[in-house]
Amino acid sequence: MRVKVRDLENGKERWEPFDQLMIATGAVPIRPDLPGSDAEGIYGVNTLQSGIEVRRIVDQEKPKRVVIIGGGYIGLEMAEAFILRGMDVSLVESSSEVMNTLDSDMGNLVSEALMCVGVKLFREETAEGFETDNGKVKAVITDKRSMPADMVILGMGVRPNSSLAENAGIPLGVKGAIKVNERMQTEVEGIWSAGDCVESYHIVSRKPFYVALGTVANKQGRIAGINIGGGYKTFPGVVGTAVSKICAVEVARTGLQEKEIHRLGLEFVTAKIKSHTRARYYPDAGPITVKVLAEKGSGRFLGGQIVGIEGAAKRIDVLATALHAGFTLDQMIHLDLSYAPPYSPVWDPVLIAVRMAMKQL
Amino acid sequence: MGKKRLVVIGGDAAGMSAASQVRRRKPDLEILVFERSPYTSYAA
Repeated sequence: MRVKVRDLENGKERWEPFDQLMIATGAVPIRPDLPGSDAEGIYGVNTLQSGIEVRRIVDQEKPKRVVIIGGGYIGLEMAEAFILRGMDVSLVESSSEVMNTLDSDMGNLVSEALMCVGVKLFREETAEGFETDNGKVKAVITDKRSMPADMVILGMGVRPNSSLAENAGIPLGVKGAIKVNERMQTEVEGIWSAGDCVESYHIVSRKPFYVALGTVANKQGRIAGINIGGGYKTFPGVVGTAVSKICAVEVARTGLQEKEIHRLGLEFVTAKIKSHTRARYYPDAGPITVKVLAEKGSGRFLGGQIVGIEGAAKRIDVLATALHAGFTLDQMIHLDLSYAPPYSPVWDPVLIAVRMAMKQL
Repeated sequence: MGKKRLVVIGGDAAGMSAASQVRRRKPDLEILVFERSPYTSYAA
C-alpha cells in the first residue's frame, strides 16, 4: 500500500509506500456556504497555525470590530481574547443561549457573563452572508441586521477531516468520522486512525459519538501507537467532558444534557443549586452553579454542568469520574471529597446538587 | 526484505502520540510523519 504526498514547499508529488498507516488528519472548521464566505478576513480557528495567523493580523492590521459567528468553545475563547485587547466584539448565536452543549438554563449564565465583559451578544440570530469590498469582508449580514466587521471568526464547530480516508474506501460513521474499533483500527487491515477525525463511543448513551478534543486525541493516539507497536490495548470511550471560560467565569460540562436524554427516551430528574467555591466566610469565595441529571427511578447519574468563578470548573472531573464508574446518585452522595475552607464548603457544591436530585427520584 | 515502515498522516495530538508509542516499542521500525502545517504537536 502507498500514499501520495505533496511537498508544500515545491509542489512536487511522490508516492510513499507503507506497511502500516496511521490517519490522524484531525478536523476542519465548518464553513457556512453563504455568499461571500470565502472573502479575506474570515477565519476559522482550530489549529496552532490558524491561531498564530489571527494573532498576527490583529497585531499588524489592528482590526477594531470583530464579529464571531457561533457561541461554542472557540467563539467564547476568541471573544475573551479580543475583549482583553480592547476590541469591539459582537457574537452571533443561532440558539437561545451560547454554549449549546449546556442546557439553556445553564447556557444563560454564560450568555450573561459574555455581556457582562462587554461582548455584544445577538441570540436567535443567524448569519446569512457577508458584505465584501475588493474581496475583503466588510460586514456580516444576519437575518436581522448588517454588522460592520473588520474581521470575522467562524466558531460554528468542526467536522472530521476524513475525505482522504473516504476516498481510499475506508468506512465512515457518525458525522462523517472514520469508523474505528476499540483498538483504533479502521475497517481496512493495516490502517489505523485516532483523534478529531474518528468516531468515538459515548459511555453514558452507549452510542457512537463524535467529539473533537485534544484530550481524547492524545489518549486515542496512545492506544493506536501501543497496538501498532505490537501491544494490545483498548480505548473505552468518552463521557463528553469539556471546560472553557470567559474572563472570570468558568464553564464545564460532562455526560448527557437534557436534549440528549430526551432523544434516548429516558425519564430523568434534574437539580440545580447555587453555592460557593470556598467556605462562604473565606476570602474570595464566589458563586458556583451546579446542575446534575439522573435517570428517574434507578438514580443512574447521567450528566452534570457547572458555571462559576475560579475553582468551579475542575469540579466537573468528579462528575466525569462518576460517569465512568457508572455510579448512581446514592453512590455519589458518600464520595469522600476533600474539604477545608479555602477549597470548598463542607458539603461540596457537586454533592449538594446530588442530594437535591435524589429528592426528585 | 527492507525495513518495515509506518506512515503517519498528521503530526498533531493523535499522530504524534501514536508515533512516540510505536517508537518506544519498535526501535527499528521506520516511522514517517507528514504534517501540512509548520508545527507538530505542542502537547502530546
